[in-house]
Amino acid sequence: MGLDSFKRALWVYHLNTGSCNGCDIEILAALTPRYDAERFGIVLVGSPRHADVLLVTGPVTRQMESRLKRVYAQVPEPKMVMVVGSCGTEGGVFHESYNLIGPVDQCIPVDVYVPGCPPRPEAIIEGVVKAWLKLEKAQEPVTA
Amino acid sequence: MASLSTWSPIVLVVAFLILAAVAYFFRSRGEPRYKEGTAQTQVFLAGEEAPEPDKRHIRAHNMYWGFFQALKRYYETTMNAHTGIINDYIIWFTSVVAITAVIVFIAGMV
Repeated sequence: MGLDSFKRALWVYHLNTGSCNGCDIEILAALTPRYDAERFGIVLVGSPRHADVLLVTGPVTRQMESRLKRVYAQVPEPKMVMVVGSCGTEGGVFHESYNLIGPVDQCIPVDVYVPGCPPRPEAIIEGVVKAWLKLEKAQEPVTA
Repeated sequence: MASLSTWSPIVLVVAFLILAAVAYFFRSRGEPRYKEGTAQTQVFLAGEEAPEPDKRHIRAHNMYWGFFQALKRYYETTMNAHTGIINDYIIWFTSVVAITAVIVFIAGMV
């Protein structure tokens, strides 16, 4: 990966669909001065309509299923979905819970998985970079 | 040749054209990836389904919206009493007069 991959800032919308908040804390840690993901233009935004990447934490509860699908539909194309944490990846410790739909990929298509309980900020940043590269490949036919 | 004053139509037309060009510039810088008629152009309300525009906006002229909202139960009760039927109003009037007469009569006895 060279500097060509950093053509523009990457805006990320973070959605918690039932997480215990552990992954959310690590996402915030990735934005603190120690890791400072914002220096690469990776910014959390307040609306999916502004986002390139939908970052989901936690398994999908029944209450959040329709919200997750609606938020996913509101992200403009091309979009990437990134799941952070074991719960969103495969259910984690909640996988047999009665009020879960299941992992995120049972509701919407997922492009990047970052497993861990919770994953370290380095892993989250690496996942974002993979989503970034995938997004740029998806944009190539549009820009060419 | 008359000089161009502030209210000259030529000045206003030129100002309009300049403002239109500025507006068009900002609009052209917007996000072009949205698909019209899909969820991508709908209002984002934290994942909730957005209600119709007339149900999600409080009209600016309604300064007492909060007042009416706070006293909603009172107004609903009193508005139910206003049926628009004259017989109902006569019943209300007769009842109130009768109760008042009884109270006055009892008060006069004491």
